[in-house]
Formats: sequence, C-alpha cells, structure tokens
Amino acid sequence: MKLTRLAALALAGLALPAQQTPPPQTHLKVGDKAPDFTLRTTHGKPFKLSDYRGQTVVLAFFPAAFTGG
Amino acid sequence: MTAYQAGLAKFAESGAQVLGISTDNLPSQSHWAKEVLKIDFPLGSDFQRTVSELYGVLNKESGIANRSTFVIDADGVIQHIEQGNSALSIDGAVTACSRVKKR
Repeated sequence: MKLTRLAALALAGLALPAQQTPPPQTHLKVGDKAPDFTLRTTHGKPFKLSDYRGQTVVLAFFPAAFTGG
Repeated sequence: MTAYQAGLAKFAESGAQVLGISTDNLPSQSHWAKEVLKIDFPLGSDFQRTVSELYGVLNKESGIANRSTFVIDADGVIQHIEQGNSALSIDGAVTACSRVKKR
C-alpha cells in the first residue's frame, strides 16, 4: 500500500515538468510539402533538404545538446 | 534521453537519412555528437532559428526548438509528425518510415 502511494507520487512528479509551458505546435500537416532549407552540419558539408529527393528523410528537432536531448 | 538518439540510428539503418536539428552552435553540436553520443548521423545547427521557425517548432521565449520529428517521403512530402514528449518515442516515426519505404 505504502509502496503504491510512493509510486503514484513519483509518477506525479515526473508528469509535472511536462505541463509547465505549452510547447509550440507546428502549422505543418501530414501531406504538406516539407519546407526546403540548408543547414551547416557536424559532418562538414551543408544539408540541403531538396538534395534528398528520392530518399526518406527524418528531421529530428531537439531542444539543446547539453540538456541531454 | 540518449535512448532517443540511439533510436534515431535505427532510421539510418533502415536507409532513411536522419538529420538532428537544434539551435546550438556547430562547435557545441560537434563536441556532443562526437564525444558524448558518438552518433553517425549529422546534426544541423539552426543557430539562426530560421529552420525551427519554418517548421513551427521554435519556442520563441527560450529560443530553442520543441522536440519534434518529421518523416518526409521521397517526393518531399511530410508523412508523419510527432511533437513534444511523444516525439521521445520514435516508434511512430519508425513505423511511418517503413510504411513510406514499402510504397
């Protein structure tokens, strides 16, 4: 019983940070053309999205490197 | 957290090109990618915040990107979007990738 209560508290604690600031919601939808862009990368050469036509591309935005993201 | 990054490597294995994007500067990203995560796929530096803004994932108060995953097919069309905490799990995006690949 005591353990269950502790577990519930722990879960509530984990859920809290996610509720603080509402994250931005993208205006893009499935079926939209992905906006083209070029970025400098850790691989040395720039990444231009339209250069990857013919291949599946996964864009993974993450908050910041040193947050452990 | 690193599970997410490790998971991203699965995309690369499935033949999809993965690009991680954050608003960090390139030296930070390079250090992190090489020394900490030891990942093979590239990280793109959106230091100007233009791409995060273009994709509607920029948190304007903090200037950092909301965690989001976009799967884009061979024609440049978005096939899958995941945002926030649900983007921590890559399962949905992995499924979308294999679905796109089969077509």
